[in-house]
Amino acid sequence: MWSFILRRLLYNVPVYLGILLLVMGLLRVRNPVYAYLGKNADEKQIAQLEESFGLNDPFIVQYGRFLWKGLRLDFGESWKYQGTTVREKLLASIPPSMSITVPALILTSVISITVGLMSSFYRGRWIDRLLVIAAVLGMSISFLVYIIFGQFFGAFLPKQMGLEWWPLEIGGSFDLWFSMSSFSVFGLRVPYPDINAMTWVKFCLLPVLISVIVSMGYDTRFYRAVMVEECNRDYIITARAKGATKRKIMFVHMLKNAMIPIITRIMTTLPFLITGSILLEMYFNIPGMGRTLITAITDMDYPMIQGFTAVIALLYILSIILTDVLYALVDPRVRLS
Amino acid sequence: MAMRVGQNLTRCGDAADRPQQEFADETFEESDMNAQSARLRNLALVSLAALSAAAMTLHAGVASDAGEGSRAAEKVLRIPMTTDGPKSLDPVRGSTTYENRCCSQIYDTLVQYKYLKRPYELEPSLLEEMPAISADGLVWHFKLKQGVYFQDDPCFPDGKGREVVASDVFYSWKRVADPKYQFKSFWLLEDTIVGFDEFKLAQEKAATFDYSAPVEGMRLINDCEFELTLKRPVQQFMWRLAQFQLSIVPREAIEKYGDRFNRHPVGTGPFILRSEDDWKIGTSLTLHRNPTYREEFYPDEWMPEDEAFGFHKPAGTRLPIVDRIEVTFFVESQPMWLKFEAGELDYTTVPETAYESAFARRSRNLRPAYANRGITAHKLPLLDFIFRGFNMEDPLLGGYTEEKKALRKAICLALDWEEMNEAYYNGTALVYDGMIPPGLDGYPADGRLPNAWRGPDLERAREYLARAGYPDGEGLPTIDYYTSNGATSERMAALTARQLAKVNIKINPRLVDFSTLIEAVDNKKAPFFSFAWGSDYPDAENNLALFYGPNEAPKPNHFNYKNAEFDALYEKIRTMPPGPERTAIYEKMRDMVLEDCPYAGSMARIRHYLVHPWLLNYKPSETFFTWMKYLDVDDSKRPGASR
Repeated sequence: MWSFILRRLLYNVPVYLGILLLVMGLLRVRNPVYAYLGKNADEKQIAQLEESFGLNDPFIVQYGRFLWKGLRLDFGESWKYQGTTVREKLLASIPPSMSITVPALILTSVISITVGLMSSFYRGRWIDRLLVIAAVLGMSISFLVYIIFGQFFGAFLPKQMGLEWWPLEIGGSFDLWFSMSSFSVFGLRVPYPDINAMTWVKFCLLPVLISVIVSMGYDTRFYRAVMVEECNRDYIITARAKGATKRKIMFVHMLKNAMIPIITRIMTTLPFLITGSILLEMYFNIPGMGRTLITAITDMDYPMIQGFTAVIALLYILSIILTDVLYALVDPRVRLS
Repeated sequence: MAMRVGQNLTRCGDAADRPQQEFADETFEESDMNAQSARLRNLALVSLAALSAAAMTLHAGVASDAGEGSRAAEKVLRIPMTTDGPKSLDPVRGSTTYENRCCSQIYDTLVQYKYLKRPYELEPSLLEEMPAISADGLVWHFKLKQGVYFQDDPCFPDGKGREVVASDVFYSWKRVADPKYQFKSFWLLEDTIVGFDEFKLAQEKAATFDYSAPVEGMRLINDCEFELTLKRPVQQFMWRLAQFQLSIVPREAIEKYGDRFNRHPVGTGPFILRSEDDWKIGTSLTLHRNPTYREEFYPDEWMPEDEAFGFHKPAGTRLPIVDRIEVTFFVESQPMWLKFEAGELDYTTVPETAYESAFARRSRNLRPAYANRGITAHKLPLLDFIFRGFNMEDPLLGGYTEEKKALRKAICLALDWEEMNEAYYNGTALVYDGMIPPGLDGYPADGRLPNAWRGPDLERAREYLARAGYPDGEGLPTIDYYTSNGATSERMAALTARQLAKVNIKINPRLVDFSTLIEAVDNKKAPFFSFAWGSDYPDAENNLALFYGPNEAPKPNHFNYKNAEFDALYEKIRTMPPGPERTAIYEKMRDMVLEDCPYAGSMARIRHYLVHPWLLNYKPSETFFTWMKYLDVDDSKRPGASR
């Protein structure tokens, strides 16, 4: 297996370098200095800033410099937030993103798989039809509408009704729900996360719920389709004939054999755990990776765009390799060769 | 050497084109992904408006039950900012209105705007008195207030802030010439102080920047007095002294924190950032009262109309009044609006999507659902000059012959700015003639001028088109029209094309990103383009500079307009004090430009503010941002103060 992983990593090196080349090349189609300095800059200022940003160097030199520094996770300093490195911004924006996406993925997957299982098991009956209609309805409404109505009904309205204890926030000043503390053991500092669950509920629960509702429509339909296919297999009919309970058929036989598409689906979403949901982050003022990246694009902050892209591309490639490995782990018929 | 203006609010395409960076929180632009999502959002928001009203009625009943016990002990101001916030808290690196808003609380400049006075006037801030100017207007003598201290900070011995001295002023100002700061604010002192431009050139060639190197026109007299010698008398220099980029900073902090000074500001202002964590980049900024702030009091000078709002009442109160300011940054206006309605923000600007739920469509009065809660509405005309520019060097549209002028006039006469206003600004913007925005000397009465080329007047447009040699548009090539991309810009460009098509003028909209737009204009490649200008200071000179020949592109004269008589007048007005004589020259210059017609326009946005009854003394202004120290909050009027 290790040789497989190593081989896949090596195969993906040119892909990764190609992605970075493409991104850097596309960014250099336009000169960001004009926008950066505004309408009043003179030619001298423009030339000076191009030099200070390293944009005067040949492209290949800029590319090589980015790769060399990137190896040490040094993506340079943000052009807009001077005094702040891209690495700092990256590290600061990952926890807020994951505060939303990790619980959302877990909840969505558990609920969707369960609903998909039920729906497929009772396919054609009223419960299945109801779930399918709900899923289609869920898919048909824009994410933006969920957010706007979610903020209104989930946070604004309860407070307007005088429910002072209502914990959910419309958005605004985002506080991270954990901080790193440490205690001392024989003179050694042992770090641990100091968790404030109420802060998470206040800032993260509503976006998590919205994310779950939005994703459930798609996921439920997908998992239902997978399960329906499994339902028609001989081993399910055999299990039924042998008198296995519904629960055992669903959660032991069917679920186990449907793991490949489930893993594929979950694994493809893994990089997005970190990149976050751009819309949610924008509307709920969550300083996560998605929002930071969009802001960097708007600001034409090239070091930030390049650094973030490098990390996202790497995560994506790693998740694809991990998916292949997991296939072999859950299905003995799959051989890593 | 040309003078450059407009670095502050002004790096903009069109007011509606570049809301995020330039006119960000003001324009009624969809700042998100695409037109479809914007429509969806609007639809959802409009349907929420009715629900809001119902919720507020409910809220009014509940609010009256709010307990007294939940009031905060500290006076806290909760304000929004429609952006992801400032990029830096180092004034010399700042250029946007957001950096201005934040830095103006932490630092002081030598002079400041009088809070309640209109038209705007300046008063001493760090100065003991306004500078004494020699009879020839060249030598300015400054005397600093004594007993003004920098905030306490570890950069000082024992962590105690030291007194501000005259050399701090020179140090702070020399920073604008330091290449390290990319000369973003150099325009403020460029071509003004004797020897300052030479100092910059010498330092650029030197291996390291020498802050102790002398500048001929900067003379230190003692710790609290200094003198500046100007190259020529420049009246507007006084306004520039109030620009936040020229705030006074301590050398110790710059040397201790280096680039980190961006996030660790040390100033003399009414508020301080207690720790770097108080600025959560992209989401919020918390400022605390500066315990060592100098003795300053609420002004005892106000306008008669201020009395209706009670702005005069706190006269003589020690500043700052509130203990803490919590600024929340909103990339999207929806959560900001809901938070205002929930009483979690003390004021808000009214986003486009909420305009009709806040104001009656016909009367444009505040709806009873808001007025009954004691919310007040304030209208603030901005110092905007929104226009469509012509490149006067373009072979087709440029030139000064009667035929060329006639072509540009035909385009102006075919454009319908009121339709643009209705379609994209809810009819709330102000269409006016000339380039001088409302409220400034030289602005025409009612915004109208008989010699302007305001459309739509299709008959005259056709007549002028014929005079230009293109009867009924025949033979006129398609004109490239550059504007920044974005859903609203695209629709505005389509509207412009449709309006011009009525007289058979065809344009080819080139929707480009903002950087490309500026590049095209700077390189004189854009024959017809959409831009906007927000004045840096309330003096029409700032707008007239846009037509000064030596300021041609890439400097702010993007029209590349050249008129020797205009240039001579411009040089004259720079040295003239305000008064009827200067205003007459402003008007003459305005009319000269109108005759040559290097642009089509103009329009200024009007910002609508809604203010909760517990926020006191708030007289909105976007020309200066030192006003937060004058604000007060009456917590007894807050609904559920615990939130």
